[in-house]
Amino acid sequence: MNKITILFFATLRTRAKRSTMELELPNEINIADFKKILITKIPALEASLHHTLVSINKEYAFDEDIIPEGAEIALFPPVSGG
Amino acid sequence: MKPSTLPTIISITEKEIDLNALLEEITLTSTGAAAIFTGMVRGETSRTGQAQGINYAPHETTYLEYEAYTPMAEAKMKQVADEIRKKWDVVEGIAIVQRIGKLYPRTPTVIIACTASHRDTGVFEAARYGIDRLKEIVPVWKKEVMPDGEEWVEGEYIPTKGG
Repeated sequence: MNKITILFFATLRTRAKRSTMELELPNEINIADFKKILITKIPALEASLHHTLVSINKEYAFDEDIIPEGAEIALFPPVSGG
Repeated sequence: MKPSTLPTIISITEKEIDLNALLEEITLTSTGAAAIFTGMVRGETSRTGQAQGINYAPHETTYLEYEAYTPMAEAKMKQVADEIRKKWDVVEGIAIVQRIGKLYPRTPTVIIACTASHRDTGVFEAARYGIDRLKEIVPVWKKEVMPDGEEWVEGEYIPTKGG
């Protein structure tokens, strides 16, 4: 198993009602499968996940990307800084 | 002669942005020009229109509350600086600073400053590129708090591989 840390920001933090969580994932799964697992843990995220950006270890990640061991994954909406 | 290491200042901070101190840090002996962009909190939005995916009507803003995924934000600000240097190799110093926390109208929230030997080197465009890219790829968000409610502002840009 692969124990990862998930961070939530902005609207994703509000929906998930938390800013961080730890999760055990099967080894070698990609972001698309990770999202399916996450929805089973936090159903409130389902509605917004298609519009959510994902990073793995502080770099933007996409559905086909494999999650490395002990990764830090962040979920957040399109950015609005400046 | 340009020094081998050109100054690049990158920071997410809760403190007031000190433009003079930043300018001092990115000014070399060869520097003759600095292009500085700064954005501040608007207290009144008078235009009706659409920006960042939401329709907005004329309204009043009490304050904006900014949050960042700081380690990634600083990494992406560094990427923006690297992209600027790749496109404009005449740029000498770069400062990119985003302030976070609760920020009230008229308060500067962000600064992008680029220095070069002369003003006609592309230094204006370099600073413009910097703020545009920051708004696309640097993970910072703001919540707008108004007299009658609050709303997260969401951007529109969907990054591709590498940003």
